[in-house]
Amino acid sequence: MTSMLELLTDPALFATVLRVMTPLLLAALGVLISDRAGVFNIGMEGMMLSGALSGVLVSAWIGSAWLGLLAAVLLCAAIGALMAIIVNKLGAHLIITGIALNLAASAATTLGLFFATGDKGMSGSLKSGVLPSIRLPVIDQIPVLGTLLSGHHVLTYLALLAVPVVSLLVWRTPFGLHLRAVGVDAKSAAAAGIRVARVQMLALMLSGVFGGLAGAYLSMGYVSWFAQNMTAGRGFIAIAVEVMGAASAWGTLAAAVVIAIAETLAITMQSLGLPNELMQMIPYVVPIVVLTFWASRRRALARIAQLS
Amino acid sequence: MNRSILAGLIQLVVTAVVAAAVVLIVLIPFALLQPAPLAVLTSFLIGPLDSVRHIGNIAEVATPIALTGLAATVIFRSGLFNLGTEGGFFLGGLAATAAVLLLPLPGFAAPLLAVAIGAAVGSLACIVPGYLRIRHDASEMVTSLVLNYAILFAGIFVLNYVLRDPAAGAMMSYRIPAEARLERLLPGTRLNSGAIIAVVACLAAGVWLFMTRPGLNLRIIGASPGFATHLGLPAGRIVMAAQVAGGLIAGMAGAIEVLGLYPRFSWTQLPGLGWTGIVVAILARENPFLVLPAALFLGYLQVGGNILSQEVGIPTEVVGLITAAIMLTVTASAIFQNPKLLRLIRRFRRAEVQPS
Repeated sequence: MTSMLELLTDPALFATVLRVMTPLLLAALGVLISDRAGVFNIGMEGMMLSGALSGVLVSAWIGSAWLGLLAAVLLCAAIGALMAIIVNKLGAHLIITGIALNLAASAATTLGLFFATGDKGMSGSLKSGVLPSIRLPVIDQIPVLGTLLSGHHVLTYLALLAVPVVSLLVWRTPFGLHLRAVGVDAKSAAAAGIRVARVQMLALMLSGVFGGLAGAYLSMGYVSWFAQNMTAGRGFIAIAVEVMGAASAWGTLAAAVVIAIAETLAITMQSLGLPNELMQMIPYVVPIVVLTFWASRRRALARIAQLS
Repeated sequence: MNRSILAGLIQLVVTAVVAAAVVLIVLIPFALLQPAPLAVLTSFLIGPLDSVRHIGNIAEVATPIALTGLAATVIFRSGLFNLGTEGGFFLGGLAATAAVLLLPLPGFAAPLLAVAIGAAVGSLACIVPGYLRIRHDASEMVTSLVLNYAILFAGIFVLNYVLRDPAAGAMMSYRIPAEARLERLLPGTRLNSGAIIAVVACLAAGVWLFMTRPGLNLRIIGASPGFATHLGLPAGRIVMAAQVAGGLIAGMAGAIEVLGLYPRFSWTQLPGLGWTGIVVAILARENPFLVLPAALFLGYLQVGGNILSQEVGIPTEVVGLITAAIMLTVTASAIFQNPKLLRLIRRFRRAEVQPS
């Protein structure tokens, strides 16, 4: 038990929570923007995978981690634009388009890795860049707070900053209003003069920007290489996180923290000798429980509202 | 020839033409990168058909995806986007392995009982999201997506702590006894009696869906839930039954795959054949009778990809790209709801009504 307590009060634990949370939060915010525009991006997993590989390849090629990040973001924004064209111009089914993107990304990243390195599994032979961690100037000096708040990965700070930004974007800007109008009722929005296809394309491109950031974090922060299918379902957890957070930015942050704590506990308890595989289930089981709870509560509330 | 059948065939022909175009468009750039582009195309397109062994391989690859495709078809027909077939496939394979290794099954009936147990356990992957949707209104798409991964890790736990053969080096189960394996049908390939089950299941499901009252009820609910409610159909029960049926088929597919092909259970990742089943269902336009040709077509592509990776050195993942592109084009209403195409079909229909 003492060892458990020691583990739980370790400041490194806090850092681990943030590390695990970063890709989930970034990806979930991306899903949120697409969801608000009525084009739920189930292809987030594929976007993250594409972002992770392009970041590694470009940074190894040019020698700059930042250009790798830029490439990941641009590629995923382009994928988002392509998704929008396929859904709105070609008229393909939205969810099936997302599933197809996941399939295509899994295949294309394997092929890309193979043609770049001759290896289908890992990018270990490439000298790819890593994005830095940041020491916050003043806070760094404060005894306890400094070790907790300073020295995290640059994308971790970006993810946390993105929460209020996305919240403001969705609720306090004209674009956000259009976004929500299109998401609630595309036909009425079109009748009111909003260019639905354009708003949805921008939403999916923004979603792609977040997907690219999340993917680049995985291969240039969380670890420093690309491995085949390295996202391992994180894009799907991100979708669950967004739904748990009821499509609000702050709710998404709360849900991402909950899942990250669950996953961190799973990692920590492994070192206490509990079976690794059962612990790995936790971040996948928690969303199911929470979602069911939320949904049945919503249904109960709706029933009460109907009775009164 | 009957003109209304011809009109129906137009959609099929357009689907085939679109699929063929997609194959060429994806493949040609890869072929041009190689020293002998034409050899790439011939080994991919002709290779799978050039010997009995390769044709047997196509049927062998088509068996599991025909079944997962059928599972997805039954589930999609109910109007739910339950993606649990992937988890059901994995769980079915695991449960069947556990059954033959742990239970004292009578030798002659062992394969059948194991497949039945695999189907029953595997069906949970589709039943749970379906139940949570019908009873609690939780999005079946999201819960089934994450449940697939929860099942994967639970499965690896069982494999590691219960079924693992410590003498086997890598993480794999004890050897599946020979009498529990499915019979091989064609020497030189792994084509097994599971293929017969797949054919029978698709035909039976087609008859059930299009020629019986429960099948009609399911089609009504999927097409128009509001209308079904006004008819007084017990929507919840019928939709749930479809999830159970789809789950059973997906679990059976996994059990057949493991008992038909492998000496040991060794999946430590989701095998992905549940996802391919979704492609099959889409390509077959959720028609059980068309599931078989759709699965054979994807099997043909897969075998072509395997030949390509052996002979030319292009990784077989090219097939994944082709599959994704086919998914998009086949659901594209710009192609299949195109006014010109619809007009052509109407002209055929009219010509039948007023014979000139």
